[in-house]
Amino acid sequence: MVERSGYLAVIASVEVLTPTLRKFVLAAQGVRFPAVSAGSHVVLGFGSAARRYKNAYSVVSATPDGRELSVIVRRAPQSRGGSAFLHDQAQDGTPVTVLSSANLFPVSKTAKRHLLLSAGVGITPFLAHARTLEAEGADYTLHHFCRPEEKPAFVTLLADLPPGRVFIHDRPPEDAGMKHHMAEEGIATHLYFCGPEGFMGWVEQAAAQLGFVAAKVHSEHFFVPEGGKPFTVVLASSGQRIAVAGDETLLEALENAGVDAPCMCRGGACGACALEVMDGVPEHRDHVLTEQEKTEGRTILTCVSRARTDTLTLNL
Amino acid sequence: MTVQTSARESYRPPYQVTNSAETILRFPFPFPEDSYMYSMNVEPHIRSGPVAAMHNTFDIDEHYVAECAEKARILQEDPKRCIVQPHMRAAEWDFVELAMSSLSDQYPQHFSLRREGQDWHWVNRLLGYEQSFVFGDATTLPLPPFEYMARQMQGDFTLHDQREDDLWMDGGMVTAQADWSLKFDLGMSFRQWHAPVPKAAEMGVFDRGLRFLLMLQHEKPVRRLNWTMTINPRLDTSPENFMVWGPDRASVTPDNVADKVHLRVELQTLYRLPRSNAILFSIRCYLMPLRDIMRVPKWRRRLHRVLRDLDPTLSSYKGLDLYRQTVVDFLAPYDDGAPLSSGIQPEVVQLEKALAPAA
Repeated sequence: MVERSGYLAVIASVEVLTPTLRKFVLAAQGVRFPAVSAGSHVVLGFGSAARRYKNAYSVVSATPDGRELSVIVRRAPQSRGGSAFLHDQAQDGTPVTVLSSANLFPVSKTAKRHLLLSAGVGITPFLAHARTLEAEGADYTLHHFCRPEEKPAFVTLLADLPPGRVFIHDRPPEDAGMKHHMAEEGIATHLYFCGPEGFMGWVEQAAAQLGFVAAKVHSEHFFVPEGGKPFTVVLASSGQRIAVAGDETLLEALENAGVDAPCMCRGGACGACALEVMDGVPEHRDHVLTEQEKTEGRTILTCVSRARTDTLTLNL
Repeated sequence: MTVQTSARESYRPPYQVTNSAETILRFPFPFPEDSYMYSMNVEPHIRSGPVAAMHNTFDIDEHYVAECAEKARILQEDPKRCIVQPHMRAAEWDFVELAMSSLSDQYPQHFSLRREGQDWHWVNRLLGYEQSFVFGDATTLPLPPFEYMARQMQGDFTLHDQREDDLWMDGGMVTAQADWSLKFDLGMSFRQWHAPVPKAAEMGVFDRGLRFLLMLQHEKPVRRLNWTMTINPRLDTSPENFMVWGPDRASVTPDNVADKVHLRVELQTLYRLPRSNAILFSIRCYLMPLRDIMRVPKWRRRLHRVLRDLDPTLSSYKGLDLYRQTVVDFLAPYDDGAPLSSGIQPEVVQLEKALAPAA
């Protein structure tokens, strides 16, 4: 069992897919990586002596011997520095630690058929899913949406999958007739989607209009925590005050102060990092809390959310 | 822990199971306080804890060979004690990896594993097995992967698929159960298989438990203790065999209570499995007769208080009604009412002298 320290690795290769997307192959140093299921993300620790980052990325492939795994990283326009570091400074040999893995976006193993819809970097979990489904002989179709200039890169990326299973569109889903394709699916089909917020909204609405039942609709919001106004967090048990800078998350500030705070997805999707707010007003940015919980303001997900007030007191 | 290398013991009539002093002291006594009610008593399954039974990922003790032999016998009589649904194939291999790697790491004198890529070589010295196989290729093992490995471990195991924000019991090997059936529960959701348990649902224990388990992370296993009581050292108290063991509940008398009545403790551990995203539930059963519990002053006093004050609904659900009062009457003279430390640790390094055997 590997505790907090994680699995040591180095970047074995960097591949430029598009101006904003790069694929990084990580090679385990010494201890093998744990196996990962399709749809998993890993939390990677990397950076310079001056600034450490912990970011979550979907695993696009992993070798069965645990020696290598690959991620695709999009250079986030409002990057707090992590994706910019990987794009600008990471190279072969750059050390990276695999801190943890978890799967918040599995396919339903008992489903008769899977319809996978992605846009842009939202392809990453489906690269793993499509290959696993293909290997298992499952029934699936993947539709990917991208900009025209990016299409050749995605054609190359998906070249190992059968042409009858994969469709790459350089138009938005509305123009590509996606609603018609969705309408033709049988009642047993499970729907999965991942991509930018606008795309997510479109699929969500189309699925609801066409009568997909909620239990067969699965999504992963691709979410990069953004910075904001600096604030101070107060730990109720010790009275300790920790400054949260504008370009770091509340969770990162807690971790940098040596606080053992819970977390898993680091993207506001799982709820594992929820803490009780005792004073102050949170600024919620997650996909987990209900509207009522957000209004009550008694709980905060530290990985993405921040504070509207100058200080926030947590039951920790 | 010393492990006997041959099965001299019998978990069926004529019963023959004895516990060494070491086994008694490492027993996971289930009551940290003088009273008992359901709670979310879940903690990280780290390799330490108040008793030695908690110090390994999967606990192997002196009854290993005998328990594996009893398991094999039950499976021969009733092969459906092991069922794994087809969509749990990846979970089967996850189980093989977790079991073989942790056993060989933690008990190198008994087990060894050599891995060269996907070519694995497994040695179980206690049962005399040696097997080369290709990891991921079920045709290279003599039995399906989960069954092959679960036969080589003490305790029961179930495999749970995670979908629709729920856990589904989609596989397992269950031969030492406290009156529940894999055949009956297979395919059920978390709330469905827990439906017979009284009180806990209204207390919100299952809602919180499920929410917690859905977020269980790989390499961060958790554990809890559960308990009931069993008459005679019988591992297989299954509904399928109720006709065999059920009547024993009416056989307890003041004269035989110390030998017949066993505290049955389950050290339950839960693991997120990495390939399949399934959850492994391990139920490691310990049977300790009152005669052995009597030798730890803290445990015999606490057991008296817990049983005396037990909620009647729980007593009935656990099937204790026919003999609970006999046990309480037996224990009462040995409880002076002195305050006891909280926690389950025995607070002694040596056992007290054993009671004189029943006439």
